[in-house]
Amino acid sequence: MVELTQERSHSVQIGAGDRRAKAARLRVVLIVALILAMLLGLGWGAAGDTDVPRALAAGLGLSEASLRDMTIVWDIRMPRVLTATLVGAALAVSGAVMQGLFRNPLADPGLVGVSAGAGFGAVAAIVLGGLLPAALAALAGPYLVPFAAFLGGWASTLILYRIATRGGQTSVATMLLAGIALGALTGALTGFIVYKADDNQLRDLTFWGMGSVAGATWAKIMVAGPIILAALLCAPFLARSLDALALGEPVARHMGIDTQRMKRIAIVAVAASVGASVAITGGIGFVGIVVPHLLRLLQGPEHRNLLPNAALLGAVVLLLADMVSRIAVAPAELPIGIVTACLGGPFFLWILLKNRALLEGDR
Amino acid sequence: MIHCHDISVRLGGRKVLDRVSFSARAGALTAIVGPNGSGKTTLLRTLTGEQHYAGEILFDGSHLKRFSPLDLAERRAVLPQSGSLAFPFTVLELVRLGLSAGVATGRADTTALPSQALARVGLAGYEGRLVQELSGGERQRAQLARVLVQIWEPILDGHPRWLFLDEPVSALDIGHQLQIMQLARDYAEAGGGVIAVMHDLNLTSMFADHVTLLGEGRVRASGTPEEVLTDHALSSCYGCPLRTNTPPASGRPWILPQASTLTSPPVGAS
Repeated sequence: MVELTQERSHSVQIGAGDRRAKAARLRVVLIVALILAMLLGLGWGAAGDTDVPRALAAGLGLSEASLRDMTIVWDIRMPRVLTATLVGAALAVSGAVMQGLFRNPLADPGLVGVSAGAGFGAVAAIVLGGLLPAALAALAGPYLVPFAAFLGGWASTLILYRIATRGGQTSVATMLLAGIALGALTGALTGFIVYKADDNQLRDLTFWGMGSVAGATWAKIMVAGPIILAALLCAPFLARSLDALALGEPVARHMGIDTQRMKRIAIVAVAASVGASVAITGGIGFVGIVVPHLLRLLQGPEHRNLLPNAALLGAVVLLLADMVSRIAVAPAELPIGIVTACLGGPFFLWILLKNRALLEGDR
Repeated sequence: MIHCHDISVRLGGRKVLDRVSFSARAGALTAIVGPNGSGKTTLLRTLTGEQHYAGEILFDGSHLKRFSPLDLAERRAVLPQSGSLAFPFTVLELVRLGLSAGVATGRADTTALPSQALARVGLAGYEGRLVQELSGGERQRAQLARVLVQIWEPILDGHPRWLFLDEPVSALDIGHQLQIMQLARDYAEAGGGVIAVMHDLNLTSMFADHVTLLGEGRVRASGTPEEVLTDHALSSCYGCPLRTNTPPASGRPWILPQASTLTSPPVGAS
């Protein structure tokens, strides 16, 4: 009797339904693309006739190059390329982690107010930093702005999670509405502080608010780089838990995941990488939402493959966006945030409309 | 062996379980039955460790509260009433999630497990399909395959492992109901323990070794299907007339609702 109910037996192809091999191939492509994009970023700029290969070799002690070429390649272009790489990776990975945590493909640090919270922290530190006792200010030094941004991002993520998630389920509407409210509130606080700022501070804030990698320096990389790298190194340890969380929080616990612990780690990792990114480049939107979406379509939603590939693709996307921002209105530069929004917004809408069922998942 | 002693659970000020004592042994299929809201799912959720409770639960001799999430996941797997999935996983990827927390499987290579589990729930060849494109019953079976890979060996390192099923056949057609209940029986006969919350009393009678009947948060009856599934116990607990019968072929009772005594007036009566 039971035998009669067996499904017709299909011939199972080896590896059917397994997109890991696809993800591994994609990773190779992305590594190559990242190297090419970095070289392009180093080789292409407003200053013509620069002997980039030679300057690169000279920097490594293999050759000699003119001081001018050395300055252009090592002090101007290199920090900029590294900043775009780090921030692109940080934004894409924190987007993917947030989406896994909220179990929701629309969670993005930019859309739900985490970047705004980090921005508020940074602005407060720039303007109010002078009020700190001199000793404390000296101690905090260049870490003050990134740390304040981290705190702002962390508080926003935590508040958002508390409001939007009940019993491990996040409703899209609550999350987006809470994010809008939170963003408006932090925006108003930021506005108030900007209103109080003096002229010098205003210049800092203006550059910073546009979202740009043009102000990249080695000093900033030394501050933000380790924070971002630490957060990125955390991500692989979250992959299994985020996969399990896709089934809902109770089921993840049934499967042996300590969900409280992993949520704390995920929130701190997101806040650290978004905070450090916002502190050095300002708010750059859409990388965190477009990159993970695209990868889920190409290779499936398993986080063990999604997170590393998101880091690579995020870096490539931001490097290319920086290239566009440099050539679109040359010799002037567009803020990169405008470029990512112009490319990302329509692209995001396109994926959303084309794959509505796929992206909404099963809930 | 799972022993609960005097378990009470309050939800929103209401006593959902009232001094419930319950036990289940490995090697048997234990069914929990009772009307809607009688506390069946709450009892199962208490056994899985996700529900705060007063009382004592012993899991193979140790207090339930002493187990870490991972230790517990190595001893038991849970099929919830309704599964949700946030992202577009394929069936294979979904089933593989059962292995994702790193629970011990007792085997070096687990690559073949998901496909074996899918074959056991009648979904061989579905590996490449997207989960959200499946029908409700297919999804429930895919989730069951995910649960199975977590505790594939019914006995590991001398410990029995447990399958907790919350209405495992509610979305299934009659053929698949039989198939899944048989699978649960096979798991029990291989030495594992199975606790299933059931709505279908006839399937319960056919497949369960032990039945606990809950009503309004209390145990109304507990024992073999023959002892528990009686006219009186069922009719009073479910609040409707039910007649049991025992056909000579199986020796197990079967249950028939009695339409003639329904209180609503016949259609067309004035």
